[in-house]
Amino acid sequence: MTDDLESKLRDALRPAAPSEDFDRQLLARLAATQREPTKLRGRYASRTTWWFSAALAATVVLAVGVQHHRAVEENREKGLEARRQVMQALRVTNDKLDLAYRAVRDQSGAVAGDPGA
Amino acid sequence: MDEQLAQARAGNLGAFSTLVQAHKRSVYSLALRMLGQPELAEDMAQEVFIQLHANLSSILSADHLAFWLRKVTAHRVIDYLRRRPTVSITSLDEEAEQMEPADPGDPLLQRQVRQLILGLSPDARAVVTLRYQEDLDPVDIARTLDMSINTVKSHLKRSLDLMRQRIESGEPPRCEGQSP
Amino acid sequence: MSMHKYLKWIFVLALLPAVSFAANPRLVLPDFTGLAGRASDSVTITLDAPMLSLAARFLDPSDPDQAAAEDAIKGLQGIVVRSYTFDQDGAYKPSDLDSVRSQLATPGWNRLMETRSQKSHANVEIYLMTEANKAVGLAVIASEPRQLTIVNIIGSIDLEKLHKLEGRFGVPQLGIGPAKSPAAGSAH
Repeated sequence: MTDDLESKLRDALRPAAPSEDFDRQLLARLAATQREPTKLRGRYASRTTWWFSAALAATVVLAVGVQHHRAVEENREKGLEARRQVMQALRVTNDKLDLAYRAVRDQSGAVAGDPGA
Repeated sequence: MDEQLAQARAGNLGAFSTLVQAHKRSVYSLALRMLGQPELAEDMAQEVFIQLHANLSSILSADHLAFWLRKVTAHRVIDYLRRRPTVSITSLDEEAEQMEPADPGDPLLQRQVRQLILGLSPDARAVVTLRYQEDLDPVDIARTLDMSINTVKSHLKRSLDLMRQRIESGEPPRCEGQSP
Repeated sequence: MSMHKYLKWIFVLALLPAVSFAANPRLVLPDFTGLAGRASDSVTITLDAPMLSLAARFLDPSDPDQAAAEDAIKGLQGIVVRSYTFDQDGAYKPSDLDSVRSQLATPGWNRLMETRSQKSHANVEIYLMTEANKAVGLAVIASEPRQLTIVNIIGSIDLEKLHKLEGRFGVPQLGIGPAKSPAAGSAH
Protein backbone atom coordinates (compact mmCIF):
# COMPACT_ATOMS: atom_id res chain seq x y z
CA MET A 1 0.00 0.00 0.00
CA THR A 2 2.84 2.32 0.86
CA ASP A 3 4.51 1.60 -2.49
CA ASP A 4 1.24 2.29 -4.29
CA LEU A 5 0.79 5.65 -2.58
CA GLU A 6 4.42 6.54 -3.09
CA SER A 7 4.18 5.87 -6.82
CA LYS A 8 1.04 8.02 -6.94
CA LEU A 9 2.93 10.78 -5.18
CA ARG A 10 5.80 10.57 -7.67
CA ASP A 11 3.32 10.72 -10.56
CA ALA A 12 1.48 13.68 -9.11
CA LEU A 13 4.67 15.54 -8.27
CA ARG A 14 6.39 15.41 -11.63
CA PRO A 15 8.08 18.79 -12.14
CA ALA A 16 5.97 21.28 -14.06
CA ALA A 17 7.27 24.09 -16.23
CA PRO A 18 6.44 27.69 -15.45
CA SER A 19 4.69 29.87 -18.02
CA GLU A 20 6.39 31.09 -21.18
CA ASP A 21 6.53 34.58 -19.68
CA PHE A 22 8.66 33.41 -16.74
CA ASP A 23 12.06 34.15 -18.25
CA ARG A 24 11.06 37.54 -19.60
CA GLN A 25 9.51 38.60 -16.30
CA LEU A 26 12.53 37.41 -14.36
CA LEU A 27 14.96 39.30 -16.55
CA ALA A 28 12.80 42.41 -16.30
CA ARG A 29 12.83 42.18 -12.52
CA LEU A 30 16.57 41.59 -12.51
CA ALA A 31 17.11 44.59 -14.71
CA ALA A 32 14.96 46.69 -12.38
CA THR A 33 17.13 45.75 -9.43
CA GLN A 34 20.26 46.76 -11.25
CA ARG A 35 19.13 49.81 -13.23
CA GLU A 36 21.43 52.78 -12.81
CA PRO A 37 20.63 56.40 -13.73
CA THR A 38 21.32 56.89 -17.44
CA LYS A 39 24.02 59.40 -18.26
CA LEU A 40 22.32 62.37 -19.99
CA ARG A 41 23.45 65.88 -20.92
CA GLY A 42 22.21 69.39 -20.21
CA ARG A 43 19.56 70.94 -18.03
CA TYR A 44 17.07 68.26 -18.91
CA ALA A 45 19.77 65.72 -18.13
CA SER A 46 20.42 67.14 -14.65
CA ARG A 47 16.69 67.22 -13.79
CA THR A 48 16.20 63.71 -15.15
CA THR A 49 19.28 62.52 -13.36
CA TRP A 50 17.86 63.98 -10.17
CA TRP A 51 14.60 62.09 -10.70
CA PHE A 52 16.51 58.86 -11.33
CA SER A 53 18.53 59.42 -8.17
CA ALA A 54 15.40 60.21 -6.17
CA ALA A 55 13.62 57.17 -7.60
CA LEU A 56 16.60 54.98 -6.85
CA ALA A 57 16.87 56.39 -3.33
CA ALA A 58 13.14 55.86 -2.80
CA THR A 59 13.48 52.30 -4.08
CA VAL A 60 16.36 51.64 -1.72
CA VAL A 61 14.45 53.11 1.22
CA LEU A 62 11.40 51.08 0.30
CA ALA A 63 13.50 47.95 -0.12
CA VAL A 64 15.18 48.51 3.23
CA GLY A 65 11.81 49.15 4.83
CA VAL A 66 10.33 46.02 3.30
CA GLN A 67 13.37 44.05 4.34
CA HIS A 68 13.15 45.42 7.87
CA HIS A 69 9.47 44.56 7.99
CA ARG A 70 10.25 41.06 6.75
CA ALA A 71 12.99 40.71 9.33
CA VAL A 72 10.60 41.81 12.07
CA GLU A 73 7.99 39.38 10.80
CA GLU A 74 10.50 36.55 10.62
CA ASN A 75 11.68 37.29 14.14
CA ARG A 76 8.09 37.29 15.34
CA GLU A 77 7.46 33.94 13.70
CA LYS A 78 10.58 32.52 15.32
CA GLY A 79 9.56 33.92 18.69
CA LEU A 80 6.07 32.44 18.47
CA GLU A 81 7.50 29.07 17.45
CA ALA A 82 9.99 29.22 20.34
CA ARG A 83 7.14 30.02 22.71
CA ARG A 84 5.14 27.08 21.42
CA GLN A 85 8.10 24.77 21.95
CA VAL A 86 8.72 26.08 25.47
CA MET A 87 5.08 25.48 26.43
CA GLN A 88 5.18 21.99 24.95
CA ALA A 89 8.50 21.16 26.64
CA LEU A 90 7.21 22.30 30.04
CA ARG A 91 4.00 20.39 29.50
CA VAL A 92 5.90 17.18 28.80
CA THR A 93 8.25 17.75 31.76
CA ASN A 94 5.38 18.39 34.11
CA ASP A 95 3.53 15.38 32.79
CA LYS A 96 6.46 13.09 33.57
CA LEU A 97 7.15 14.61 36.99
CA ASP A 98 3.47 14.12 37.65
CA LEU A 99 3.82 10.48 36.65
CA ALA A 100 6.54 10.08 39.28
CA TYR A 101 4.51 11.89 41.90
CA ARG A 102 1.49 9.66 41.22
CA ALA A 103 3.62 6.55 41.56
CA VAL A 104 5.02 7.73 44.90
CA ARG A 105 1.54 8.73 46.05
CA ASP A 106 0.15 5.35 45.04
CA GLN A 107 2.96 3.59 46.88
CA SER A 108 2.46 5.80 49.94
CA GLY A 109 -1.23 5.07 49.87
CA ALA A 110 -0.63 1.35 49.53
CA VAL A 111 1.79 1.35 52.47
CA ALA A 112 -0.67 3.34 54.59
CA GLY A 113 -3.45 0.93 53.66
CA ASP A 114 -5.45 3.73 52.13
CA PRO A 115 -8.24 2.14 50.12
CA GLY A 116 -8.39 5.24 47.99
CA ALA A 117 -4.80 4.89 46.74
CA MET B 1 27.56 23.69 -15.08
CA ASP B 2 30.45 24.74 -12.84
CA GLU B 3 31.76 26.73 -15.80
CA GLN B 4 28.39 28.43 -16.23
CA LEU B 5 28.40 29.19 -12.51
CA ALA B 6 31.84 30.77 -12.70
CA GLN B 7 30.77 32.93 -15.62
CA ALA B 8 27.53 33.92 -13.93
CA ARG B 9 29.53 35.00 -10.88
CA ALA B 10 31.65 37.11 -13.18
CA GLY B 11 28.50 38.95 -14.26
CA ASN B 12 27.67 37.06 -17.45
CA LEU B 13 23.89 37.32 -17.68
CA GLY B 14 23.79 34.69 -20.41
CA ALA B 15 25.46 32.20 -18.13
CA PHE B 16 23.05 33.12 -15.35
CA SER B 17 20.18 32.58 -17.74
CA THR B 18 21.53 29.10 -18.50
CA LEU B 19 21.48 28.34 -14.77
CA VAL B 20 17.91 29.56 -14.58
CA GLN B 21 16.90 27.28 -17.48
CA ALA B 22 18.52 24.32 -15.79
CA HIS B 23 16.72 24.83 -12.47
CA LYS B 24 13.51 26.75 -13.06
CA ARG B 25 11.27 23.67 -13.37
CA SER B 26 12.51 22.30 -10.08
CA VAL B 27 12.22 25.62 -8.24
CA TYR B 28 8.85 26.47 -9.71
CA SER B 29 7.44 22.99 -9.09
CA LEU B 30 8.59 22.94 -5.50
CA ALA B 31 6.81 26.23 -4.91
CA LEU B 32 3.76 25.14 -6.91
CA ARG B 33 3.23 21.84 -5.08
CA MET B 34 3.49 23.60 -1.75
CA LEU B 35 1.36 26.62 -2.63
CA GLY B 36 -1.14 25.20 -5.11
CA GLN B 37 -1.25 28.48 -7.02
CA PRO B 38 0.68 28.80 -10.31
CA GLU B 39 0.95 32.61 -10.39
CA LEU B 40 2.09 32.80 -6.81
CA ALA B 41 4.54 29.96 -7.41
CA GLU B 42 6.02 31.81 -10.39
CA ASP B 43 6.37 34.97 -8.35
CA MET B 44 8.06 33.03 -5.55
CA ALA B 45 10.38 31.26 -8.02
CA GLN B 46 11.42 34.56 -9.57
CA GLU B 47 12.20 35.97 -6.14
CA VAL B 48 14.40 32.94 -5.49
CA PHE B 49 16.37 33.52 -8.68
CA ILE B 50 16.69 37.22 -7.92
CA GLN B 51 18.06 36.29 -4.53
CA LEU B 52 20.39 33.82 -6.24
CA HIS B 53 21.68 36.52 -8.54
CA ALA B 54 22.50 38.68 -5.53
CA ASN B 55 24.25 35.80 -3.78
CA LEU B 56 26.14 34.08 -6.58
CA SER B 57 29.44 34.69 -4.87
CA SER B 58 28.39 32.38 -2.03
CA ILE B 59 27.54 29.45 -4.34
CA LEU B 60 30.46 27.04 -4.31
CA SER B 61 29.55 24.44 -6.93
CA ALA B 62 26.77 23.08 -9.12
CA ASP B 63 25.72 20.70 -6.33
CA HIS B 64 25.70 23.52 -3.85
CA LEU B 65 23.56 25.54 -6.25
CA ALA B 66 20.91 22.84 -6.39
CA PHE B 67 20.95 22.51 -2.61
CA TRP B 68 20.78 26.30 -2.17
CA LEU B 69 17.84 26.68 -4.54
CA ARG B 70 15.82 23.97 -2.83
CA LYS B 71 16.61 25.34 0.60
CA VAL B 72 15.75 28.94 -0.22
CA THR B 73 12.59 27.99 -2.11
CA ALA B 74 11.31 25.71 0.63
CA HIS B 75 12.04 28.20 3.40
CA ARG B 76 10.46 31.10 1.48
CA VAL B 77 7.28 29.14 0.85
CA ILE B 78 7.10 27.85 4.42
CA ASP B 79 7.53 31.39 5.74
CA TYR B 80 4.83 32.60 3.38
CA LEU B 81 2.42 29.84 4.37
CA ARG B 82 2.96 30.50 8.05
CA ARG B 83 2.06 34.14 7.53
CA ARG B 84 -0.88 33.30 5.27
CA PRO B 85 -2.61 30.29 6.80
CA THR B 86 -5.49 30.13 4.33
CA VAL B 87 -4.79 27.84 1.41
CA SER B 88 -6.98 27.84 -1.63
CA ILE B 89 -7.86 24.75 -3.58
CA THR B 90 -6.89 25.30 -7.19
CA SER B 91 -9.64 25.41 -9.73
CA LEU B 92 -9.88 22.85 -12.49
CA ASP B 93 -8.76 25.51 -14.98
CA GLU B 94 -5.62 26.19 -12.98
CA GLU B 95 -4.99 22.47 -12.74
CA ALA B 96 -5.29 22.20 -16.51
CA GLU B 97 -2.64 24.90 -16.89
CA GLN B 98 -0.31 23.01 -14.61
CA MET B 99 -0.49 19.76 -16.50
CA GLU B 100 2.16 18.98 -19.04
CA PRO B 101 0.75 17.98 -22.44
CA ALA B 102 2.37 14.58 -22.18
CA ASP B 103 1.45 14.05 -18.53
CA PRO B 104 0.89 10.34 -18.12
CA GLY B 105 -1.40 8.79 -15.56
CA ASP B 106 -4.80 9.65 -14.22
CA PRO B 107 -5.20 13.45 -14.06
CA LEU B 108 -8.05 13.32 -11.54
CA LEU B 109 -6.06 11.05 -9.23
CA GLN B 110 -3.04 13.30 -9.57
CA ARG B 111 -5.20 16.28 -8.69
CA GLN B 112 -6.54 14.43 -5.65
CA VAL B 113 -3.04 13.63 -4.46
CA ARG B 114 -1.88 17.21 -4.95
CA GLN B 115 -4.88 18.48 -2.99
CA LEU B 116 -4.06 16.06 -0.20
CA ILE B 117 -0.57 17.52 -0.05
CA LEU B 118 -2.05 20.99 0.23
CA GLY B 119 -3.94 19.73 3.26
CA LEU B 120 -0.70 19.14 5.12
CA SER B 121 1.15 21.58 7.33
CA PRO B 122 3.77 23.79 5.62
CA ASP B 123 6.66 21.74 6.99
CA ALA B 124 5.04 18.45 6.02
CA ARG B 125 4.32 19.72 2.51
CA ALA B 126 7.96 20.63 2.08
CA VAL B 127 9.11 17.23 3.32
CA VAL B 128 6.73 15.29 1.07
CA THR B 129 7.52 17.39 -2.00
CA LEU B 130 11.27 17.17 -1.52
CA ARG B 131 10.95 13.43 -1.06
CA TYR B 132 8.72 12.57 -4.00
CA GLN B 133 9.44 15.34 -6.46
CA GLU B 134 13.13 15.88 -5.85
CA ASP B 135 13.77 12.30 -4.72
CA LEU B 136 15.82 13.45 -1.73
CA ASP B 137 16.50 11.05 1.09
CA PRO B 138 15.61 12.05 4.67
CA VAL B 139 19.19 13.10 5.45
CA ASP B 140 19.24 15.59 2.59
CA ILE B 141 15.72 16.78 3.39
CA ALA B 142 16.83 17.41 6.97
CA ARG B 143 19.79 19.48 5.76
CA THR B 144 17.62 21.41 3.34
CA LEU B 145 14.94 22.28 5.86
CA ASP B 146 17.15 22.59 8.96
CA MET B 147 15.20 19.85 10.68
CA SER B 148 16.35 16.79 12.52
CA ILE B 149 16.17 13.50 10.65
CA ASN B 150 13.70 12.28 13.25
CA THR B 151 11.37 15.15 12.48
CA VAL B 152 11.63 14.52 8.75
CA LYS B 153 10.78 10.86 9.18
CA SER B 154 7.96 11.73 11.52
CA HIS B 155 6.51 14.15 8.98
CA LEU B 156 6.81 11.58 6.21
CA LYS B 157 5.18 8.81 8.16
CA ARG B 158 2.33 10.91 9.47
CA SER B 159 1.70 12.56 6.11
CA LEU B 160 1.57 9.24 4.28
CA ASP B 161 -0.69 7.76 6.94
CA LEU B 162 -3.00 10.75 6.75
CA MET B 163 -3.14 10.76 2.97
CA ARG B 164 -3.66 7.02 2.82
CA GLN B 165 -6.48 7.31 5.33
CA ARG B 166 -8.17 10.03 3.33
CA ILE B 167 -7.84 8.14 0.08
CA GLU B 168 -9.29 5.00 1.64
CA SER B 169 -12.15 6.80 3.32
CA GLY B 170 -12.95 8.77 0.19
CA GLU B 171 -12.79 11.89 2.32
CA PRO B 172 -12.57 15.08 0.21
CA PRO B 173 -9.31 17.01 0.55
CA ARG B 174 -9.35 19.61 3.29
CA CYS B 175 -7.99 23.15 3.36
CA GLU B 176 -5.49 23.13 6.20
CA GLY B 177 -3.83 26.13 7.70
CA GLN B 178 -0.71 26.07 9.70
CA SER B 179 0.21 23.10 11.75
CA PRO B 180 -1.03 23.19 15.35
CA MET C 1 6.96 9.06 52.92
CA SER C 2 4.55 11.98 52.64
CA MET C 3 4.69 14.00 49.46
CA HIS C 4 5.43 17.14 51.41
CA LYS C 5 8.47 15.54 53.04
CA TYR C 6 9.50 14.16 49.67
CA LEU C 7 9.44 17.60 48.08
CA LYS C 8 11.38 19.05 50.97
CA TRP C 9 13.88 16.24 50.53
CA ILE C 10 14.43 17.17 46.89
CA PHE C 11 14.88 20.81 47.83
CA VAL C 12 17.33 19.92 50.63
CA LEU C 13 19.32 17.66 48.36
CA ALA C 14 19.55 20.50 45.93
CA LEU C 15 21.24 22.55 48.61
CA LEU C 16 23.75 19.90 49.71
CA PRO C 17 27.36 20.64 48.89
CA ALA C 18 28.28 18.85 45.75
CA VAL C 19 31.65 18.09 44.24
CA SER C 20 31.88 18.94 40.62
CA PHE C 21 34.11 16.93 38.32
CA ALA C 22 33.33 19.24 35.44
CA ALA C 23 30.47 16.95 34.49
CA ASN C 24 28.20 18.37 31.85
CA PRO C 25 24.57 19.10 32.70
CA ARG C 26 23.82 18.98 28.97
CA LEU C 27 23.41 15.38 27.95
CA VAL C 28 24.59 14.15 24.59
CA LEU C 29 21.57 12.32 23.26
CA PRO C 30 21.84 9.57 20.65
CA ASP C 31 20.31 10.04 17.25
CA PHE C 32 17.22 7.90 18.00
CA THR C 33 16.64 7.59 14.25
CA GLY C 34 15.40 4.04 14.63
CA LEU C 35 12.97 4.94 17.38
CA ALA C 36 11.57 7.90 15.49
CA GLY C 37 11.01 5.74 12.45
CA ARG C 38 8.92 3.31 14.48
CA ALA C 39 7.05 5.97 16.43
CA SER C 40 3.55 7.05 15.56
CA ASP C 41 4.30 10.42 17.10
CA SER C 42 7.46 12.11 18.21
CA VAL C 43 8.36 15.33 19.99
CA THR C 44 11.80 16.77 19.35
CA ILE C 45 12.58 20.03 21.10
CA THR C 46 16.00 21.59 21.50
CA LEU C 47 15.96 25.08 22.98
CA ASP C 48 19.22 26.87 23.77
CA ALA C 49 19.65 30.06 25.76
CA PRO C 50 19.01 32.46 22.87
CA MET C 51 15.81 30.62 21.90
CA LEU C 52 14.62 30.59 25.51
CA SER C 53 15.31 34.29 25.73
CA LEU C 54 13.41 34.87 22.50
CA ALA C 55 10.50 32.74 23.71
CA ALA C 56 10.38 34.65 26.99
CA ARG C 57 9.79 37.88 25.08
CA PHE C 58 6.69 36.38 23.52
CA LEU C 59 5.24 34.82 26.65
CA ASP C 60 2.14 36.71 27.69
CA PRO C 61 2.28 37.65 31.38
CA SER C 62 -1.49 38.07 31.47
CA ASP C 63 -1.96 34.40 30.63
CA PRO C 64 -1.46 32.33 33.82
CA ASP C 65 0.11 29.37 31.99
CA GLN C 66 2.50 31.56 30.06
CA ALA C 67 3.37 33.62 33.12
CA ALA C 68 4.21 30.41 34.99
CA ALA C 69 6.29 29.26 32.04
CA GLU C 70 8.21 32.52 31.94
CA ASP C 71 8.96 32.18 35.63
CA ALA C 72 10.06 28.57 35.20
CA ILE C 73 12.52 29.23 32.39
CA LYS C 74 14.30 32.15 34.03
CA GLY C 75 17.93 31.25 34.49
CA LEU C 76 17.74 28.23 32.19
CA GLN C 77 20.38 27.64 29.54
CA GLY C 78 18.57 24.93 27.64
CA ILE C 79 15.66 22.54 27.44
CA VAL C 80 15.83 19.33 25.45
CA VAL C 81 12.91 16.96 25.01
CA ARG C 82 12.76 13.74 23.07
CA SER C 83 9.51 11.83 23.29
CA TYR C 84 8.38 8.90 21.16
CA THR C 85 4.94 7.34 21.18
CA PHE C 86 4.38 3.91 19.70
CA ASP C 87 1.34 1.94 18.61
CA GLN C 88 2.36 -1.15 20.53
CA ASP C 89 4.23 -2.27 23.62
CA GLY C 90 7.87 -3.21 23.47
CA ALA C 91 8.81 -0.95 20.58
CA TYR C 92 11.98 0.18 22.33
CA LYS C 93 14.60 -1.56 24.42
CA PRO C 94 16.23 -0.50 27.68
CA SER C 95 19.56 -0.64 25.84
CA ASP C 96 18.39 2.27 23.65
CA LEU C 97 19.11 4.43 26.68
CA ASP C 98 22.51 2.97 27.60
CA SER C 99 24.48 5.97 26.42
CA VAL C 100 22.18 8.35 28.31
CA ARG C 101 22.37 6.34 31.53
CA SER C 102 26.15 6.10 31.30
CA GLN C 103 26.35 9.90 31.28
CA LEU C 104 23.97 10.08 34.24
CA ALA C 105 26.21 7.67 36.12
CA THR C 106 29.16 10.08 35.98
CA PRO C 107 30.15 12.13 39.04
CA GLY C 108 28.05 15.24 39.40
CA TRP C 109 24.77 13.58 38.55
CA ASN C 110 22.66 12.21 41.40
CA ARG C 111 19.66 10.00 40.92
CA LEU C 112 17.00 11.55 43.10
CA MET C 113 14.42 8.89 42.61
CA GLU C 114 13.24 6.03 40.53
CA THR C 115 9.59 5.10 40.62
CA ARG C 116 7.84 2.11 39.17
CA SER C 117 4.10 2.23 38.93
CA GLN C 118 2.27 -1.04 38.98
CA LYS C 119 -0.84 0.69 37.73
CA SER C 120 0.59 2.37 34.67
CA HIS C 121 3.69 0.13 34.31
CA ALA C 122 5.67 3.34 33.97
CA ASN C 123 9.20 3.76 35.21
CA VAL C 124 10.36 7.31 35.93
CA GLU C 125 13.89 8.29 36.87
CA ILE C 126 14.80 11.79 37.99
CA TYR C 127 18.39 12.94 38.09
CA LEU C 128 19.83 16.18 39.38
CA MET C 129 23.22 17.75 38.89
CA THR C 130 24.36 20.26 41.49
CA GLU C 131 27.26 22.69 41.57
CA ALA C 132 28.10 24.97 44.46
CA ASN C 133 24.89 24.16 46.25
CA LYS C 134 22.73 24.89 43.23
CA ALA C 135 20.87 22.62 40.87
CA VAL C 136 22.32 23.11 37.40
CA GLY C 137 20.95 20.15 35.53
CA LEU C 138 17.84 18.01 35.57
CA ALA C 139 17.21 14.84 33.66
CA VAL C 140 14.02 12.84 33.54
CA ILE C 141 13.67 9.48 31.85
CA ALA C 142 10.12 8.16 31.64
CA SER C 143 9.78 4.66 30.27
CA GLU C 144 6.16 3.70 29.64
CA PRO C 145 4.85 0.70 27.72
CA ARG C 146 4.13 2.79 24.63
CA GLN C 147 6.05 5.96 25.23
CA LEU C 148 9.62 6.87 25.93
CA THR C 149 10.49 10.37 27.08
CA ILE C 150 13.77 12.03 27.93
CA VAL C 151 13.89 15.55 29.32
CA ASN C 152 17.12 17.43 29.97
CA ILE C 153 16.98 20.87 31.54
CA ILE C 154 20.19 22.87 31.78
CA GLY C 155 20.71 25.91 33.95
CA SER C 156 19.74 27.24 37.32
CA ILE C 157 16.78 25.09 38.25
CA ASP C 158 14.26 25.85 40.92
CA LEU C 159 12.40 22.64 41.53
CA GLU C 160 9.79 24.48 43.56
CA LYS C 161 8.95 26.51 40.45
CA LEU C 162 8.75 23.39 38.36
CA HIS C 163 6.45 21.93 40.97
CA LYS C 164 4.27 25.04 40.79
CA LEU C 165 3.54 24.12 37.21
CA GLU C 166 1.33 21.35 38.61
CA GLY C 167 -2.25 22.16 37.74
CA ARG C 168 -1.18 24.02 34.61
CA PHE C 169 -0.71 22.93 31.05
CA GLY C 170 -3.68 20.62 31.34
CA VAL C 171 -2.15 18.51 34.12
CA PRO C 172 -4.71 17.99 36.90
CA GLN C 173 -3.92 19.11 40.39
CA LEU C 174 -3.27 16.19 42.66
CA GLY C 175 -3.14 18.13 45.89
CA ILE C 176 0.41 17.03 46.41
CA GLY C 177 1.84 20.44 47.18
CA PRO C 178 2.81 21.73 50.63
CA ALA C 179 1.28 19.79 53.52
CA LYS C 180 -2.44 20.23 53.80
CA SER C 181 -4.55 19.70 56.87
CA PRO C 182 -5.93 16.19 57.34
CA ALA C 183 -9.42 17.65 57.05
CA ALA C 184 -8.68 18.51 53.43
CA GLY C 185 -8.48 14.84 52.65
CA SER C 186 -4.89 14.95 51.54
CA ALA C 187 -3.13 11.70 50.92
CA HIS C 188 0.01 13.07 52.60
